[in-house]
Amino acid sequence: MSTVAAGRAPAPAVPSGARVVGALVRAEARRMLRNPVPWLCLAVSAWGMWLVVPEPGEWPGSSYEAMNPVAVPLLLGISVAVAVPFHRARHEVAPAAPVAETRRTLARLLAALPLLALTAAFAGLVAWRERDIGGLWIGMEPGRTTEALHSTAELSQLVVLGLVAVALGAALGRRVSRLVALVPALFVLWFVVSVYWLFGHPAVTPYSVMQVQPLVLEAGPATADPLAFPADWLLVTAPHYSGGGWGRQWVSQALAWWHDVWLLGLAALLLSAAWPRPGRRVLIAVGVVLAVAGVVGQHWVIP
Amino acid sequence: MSGVLVQAALPTARAVRWRPGLALTGVLLVAVVLGRAADRSVDAVLVVAAAGLAATVVAGLQDPAADLLAAVPVSVMRRRVLRLALVGAPALATWWLLDSLSTTTSSGPGPLLALTATGVAVAVWAPTRRAVLVGASTPVVLFALHRVLPTGTASDVVGRWLTDPWWVLAIATLLCVAGRRR
Repeated sequence: MSTVAAGRAPAPAVPSGARVVGALVRAEARRMLRNPVPWLCLAVSAWGMWLVVPEPGEWPGSSYEAMNPVAVPLLLGISVAVAVPFHRARHEVAPAAPVAETRRTLARLLAALPLLALTAAFAGLVAWRERDIGGLWIGMEPGRTTEALHSTAELSQLVVLGLVAVALGAALGRRVSRLVALVPALFVLWFVVSVYWLFGHPAVTPYSVMQVQPLVLEAGPATADPLAFPADWLLVTAPHYSGGGWGRQWVSQALAWWHDVWLLGLAALLLSAAWPRPGRRVLIAVGVVLAVAGVVGQHWVIP
Repeated sequence: MSGVLVQAALPTARAVRWRPGLALTGVLLVAVVLGRAADRSVDAVLVVAAAGLAATVVAGLQDPAADLLAAVPVSVMRRRVLRLALVGAPALATWWLLDSLSTTTSSGPGPLLALTATGVAVAVWAPTRRAVLVGASTPVVLFALHRVLPTGTASDVVGRWLTDPWWVLAIATLLCVAGRRR
């Protein structure tokens, strides 16, 4: 007996958890990056961004507002690319796999990091393009600028929206039974979000997915002298302001940062729908805390 | 034969996944109601709705039991028509609800029907393995192309579903009829 035991081949080394997750991350990332959809969508977004140029007579701030929604095709592409591997996890073979579901889910999410890098690169492209064309226009004379640039806080929203796109793709991919049903669902969700003027009212914008600044706030009555307003106010009036009198186009970095917090909460809540049962409650709790903090913060910042 | 289709209607309706379509309808309704409350234009939402609902109807063509049913004496096209009728009727009702809730002038269901017919035609003629996925993606692709293409001939051609929807519907229907044995 001991002779047999002595002659037995040594047991194969069991790879550590980190190595298994690493291998899965590499395989899933390769698959996601081979998917042509996010690349085609990136091209559409980049082309859309290229078409945004301020023109004389434009609606005050329209070119500034148009810069964020051009990212929507890219976000749709990211959601589709992430939804495919998460939908694959619904197959019967997956529960019998030797790697725990939590690790497989984690690996798929880590594999989506290059797609997040894509959104960061797109945000960088937007920043470069705005400087290249000499800035965008906000406001009307006498309160007007032709050199408006999106702040870091506003550009960071594109990256956080990339995270929401990953989470949305993961949630729908995991929960929707047929892959083909994801196409209209993701399309409608992202393109309704891009109709930003529906969510631009100060009372609604904290809950929006894509927050597009500037917000329009009341500045004074029609009889007010616009030169008497603070010099840094970007003004609008009829027919570009429906409130009557003078309004001001307001851009706030603090609002954008708090909106990022809200979006992080939203992403955590969406991820909880894709995450296996152990750990789901933690994600829900974190999501609720961040979302509430984000909404309260935004309401606190808006004058 | 129509009796067979009537008998097949209930089990087919049970096999259709309704939740994604219902969720999509909910999102569109919220957007239109929000636009109405804020007195903002919802034209863009209606165009998104046309493309989204068309993609949903085409996605409804997916039949997991297609291989099993290939042997029954009801043609593939008849089964497709049954599925289109079952999913298309609620989609059309949703469209009318959205259109009636919006404050804009009614544009009619032309774009929705044109995009649906185009998607179905693509699904009929595309390779079987990915036919429904490609067909359901067609309305989305047409919508995106129409938005990003610069004004010109290409943009005009791609945007026919919006400017001349009834012609697009007629041509796509002819393509579907031509591919009825596929």
